Amino acid sequence: MQFTLNGQPFEFDGDPDTPLLWVIREAAGLTGTKYGCGIGACGACTVHLEGEATRSCVLPVSAVAGRAITTIEGLAPDVSHPVQQAWIRQDVPQCGYCQSGMVMAVAALLKQHPHPTDAQIDQGVTNLCRCATYHRIREAVHVAANA
Amino acid sequence: MSQRTLERMRHAEGADDASARAPQREARRAFLKTGLAIAGSLVLPLAFSEYVEAAEDGTRFREINDWVRVDPDGRTVIGLSQAEVGQGVYTGLPQLLADEMDADWRKVSVEFVTGRDAYRIAAANERPQQFVGASMSVTMFQQRLRVAGAQAREAFLAAGARRLGVRPTQCATKSGRVIHLQTGRSLGYGELLADAAQLPLDPQPRLKAQSARTLVGQPLHKLDVPAKVNGSAVFGIDVKVPGMLAGALKMAPTLNGKPVAVRNREAVRALPGVVEVVQAKDAVIVVANTYWQAKQACDALDVQWDDGAAPADSAVILAQRKAALMSAHAVTATRIGDAPAQFETAVARGASGAKVIEADYHTPYIVHAPMEPVNATVHVREHEIEVWGPIQGQDKVRWTLGAIFKLPPEKVIVHTTFLGGSFGRKYVPDFVIHAAVASKAVGRPVKVTRSREDDIRHGFYRPGVSARMRAVLGADGYPRAMHLRVVGQSLYWSIKRDYFEKAGGWDETMLDGLYDLGYAVPNLLVDSVSVDQRIPVSFMRSVGSTSSIFFLESFVNELAHAARIDPLDYRRTLLRDDPLALRVLERTAARANWARKPAPGVYRGLAYSLYTGRGGAFTTYVAIVAELRMVDGKAKLERVVCGVDCGQAINPTLIREMMEGGIGFALTNTFKSEITFKDGAVVQGNFSDYPLLYLSQMPKVEVEIVESDRTPQGCGEVALPPVAPAVAAALFEATGTRLRTMPLEQALV
Repeated sequence: MQFTLNGQPFEFDGDPDTPLLWVIREAAGLTGTKYGCGIGACGACTVHLEGEATRSCVLPVSAVAGRAITTIEGLAPDVSHPVQQAWIRQDVPQCGYCQSGMVMAVAALLKQHPHPTDAQIDQGVTNLCRCATYHRIREAVHVAANA
Repeated sequence: MSQRTLERMRHAEGADDASARAPQREARRAFLKTGLAIAGSLVLPLAFSEYVEAAEDGTRFREINDWVRVDPDGRTVIGLSQAEVGQGVYTGLPQLLADEMDADWRKVSVEFVTGRDAYRIAAANERPQQFVGASMSVTMFQQRLRVAGAQAREAFLAAGARRLGVRPTQCATKSGRVIHLQTGRSLGYGELLADAAQLPLDPQPRLKAQSARTLVGQPLHKLDVPAKVNGSAVFGIDVKVPGMLAGALKMAPTLNGKPVAVRNREAVRALPGVVEVVQAKDAVIVVANTYWQAKQACDALDVQWDDGAAPADSAVILAQRKAALMSAHAVTATRIGDAPAQFETAVARGASGAKVIEADYHTPYIVHAPMEPVNATVHVREHEIEVWGPIQGQDKVRWTLGAIFKLPPEKVIVHTTFLGGSFGRKYVPDFVIHAAVASKAVGRPVKVTRSREDDIRHGFYRPGVSARMRAVLGADGYPRAMHLRVVGQSLYWSIKRDYFEKAGGWDETMLDGLYDLGYAVPNLLVDSVSVDQRIPVSFMRSVGSTSSIFFLESFVNELAHAARIDPLDYRRTLLRDDPLALRVLERTAARANWARKPAPGVYRGLAYSLYTGRGGAFTTYVAIVAELRMVDGKAKLERVVCGVDCGQAINPTLIREMMEGGIGFALTNTFKSEITFKDGAVVQGNFSDYPLLYLSQMPKVEVEIVESDRTPQGCGEVALPPVAPAVAAALFEATGTRLRTMPLEQALV
């Protein structure tokens, strides 16, 4: 089966039930997308499916046949995306493990709500961060929105 | 700080390792080679790829000392021995060194280093080891790193002056250049490298005066952020090694269970991608071409288990602790004056004289649950073992694998990646053993990744404990006597029995902040009862103080309430002899406008703690004011003000982040975290039933850093202890109910 990965066609010939997360990490070798829970609860595996934030650990790769996936590596490798820039400016990450997913979730949120209210941020960012960088994440979302 | 605080001797982790000390002969030579191995074997660089790759030719960069390498373009690689777990050492420690060196910060990159004595630390009488823990990185390394930076600076200064044909005293250094002051002629460190690298180093170079520092104290941006927002930062789970296989685990359904036999071994070996089924001591590991294949095969395993020693059910454990609260066989940790006599007199007098206040408190077992589940990549070869992974204790891994595979520790090479959280968990090397056993079985490098479920069900928990806090209040409302008792599974009894016994049968981690009580109480009895449980336990962020300070500070708030005295005033009186404590309280109160009534509908609470590092390594003062509203019976945390005195700030951003994140981490503990046991097993298994705080539940945090002349002190754990009691006090204001059991029985918006 084939899908588009960061703008390039990608062919996967393994088990079609394999979660997209493990196809991205192991078959495509893109390790920016993380495993955190395997049940879609933490969002460390968040990628964009046709531009929408999607938790890839519970999505069988067969579901994305012919569709476009963007991972953190495809967002802006030179860290020029406004969300990445805001994350750098506000020094958001601590351990950093959840931040690929956070950045992808927020990038999608800002497409939907270019100037989100705090309530929209609360609703739109349900990814978990064990370091609890939430205080800075909220600040950085506003910084990115005003960039 | 009390005299007892100063005198007491606390200990660092690692005393349980008794094998021989790692010889360091080859380590020095291996420094460059190790750096190369990291850069070469991990497909993605750790960060700042151009610098690391430039080091790969091995000739352009030259070593100045254990910590510094420079290339002819002046690019400077600073070694980082302390694992980056999110606490900011990747920036803060190099910042200390680069300041003394007058390095050009824009040309600084960082590389994890290992294997030399310079990277080892020891507290008390313990065997030196390379590890991160106990918030000690800054305390233990600030002098070493400053000396290393100053040595490098002096070498470049001497080489530069010679080349410019002037005396060193006529020159200054700035941003990686040696400048002749009179003429302004200058040379870059890179141009002077060949000369500087030849010069002998002064073991005691002159360190900068405070006023001459240019980087220390600045809120410099963190060096690891770019790599953490474009997916290029390499965590343990991201390691790629040529020829590597992937392993998944099936661990026992019960906490202490062991595999006896795999009933369908051959059938599982025949599944797609499967290479081998390996029976380890406490797990069955399936090795396959990919993790997902290994995981699928694991789920197909039919294993016969020995259930092992069953821990009691949680209800039974709590009942045991409640009984211990009344035990006549408690072990005394601290005795000042005669508290029992005061209680007897007070009880005999009844209500006419002094007032007796008493309250019981409880905390549950909790687990670290770092976002990156434990994992490691290991290649066991005939005479050498190579490890890549999220390692919190490099030497602990060396000693452990060396003992298992009968190799000297220096034959175990450890490459440290970024750690996707740890909070103490990744110091325990159980997950490294799994990968090693798997690699040994297949003769290739294997990365074994634990599932979230097994990460939670087979953890090393922070013990749940109970407390009975009693006080006799005098006519002035202040405690004339206190009896503070904590009971439960002792961490030290479980994993550091010698410490427990040396202390005479009590565990300082269970009594943190109590046995060394900072409050002025004339009659004090602190004791504890160890209630043995068959539950694996270990250090978790802030260790026992996430329980003991909840007990103490909640109780102090109860006493203030009983005495009808404002909780800030109450503490001002009880801490009157500790100016540093008073200062942090005053600054916090001022920032929180404590003197003014809160806005209508806003309820607030206060708590304080003095966090003392192991062996008295540091003292950091923290005060918290929590503010909340009630919305339809749920609490909405609005604002937390955190005052902190952690000595001089190396990088204020790093301090703020440890307070902000520490508060969020503590709020998860306060409202959500609970591990329970039933039928010999842990009940919880993922974030669905072991939830974490959500962004929507995180209050606004304001951090007040108190300026200080003290040397920099520890930061990583200090914010947590006072959070729960401050929030519980605010909830009491809001609801009139004292919540004395964590997690607090109060829903959040």
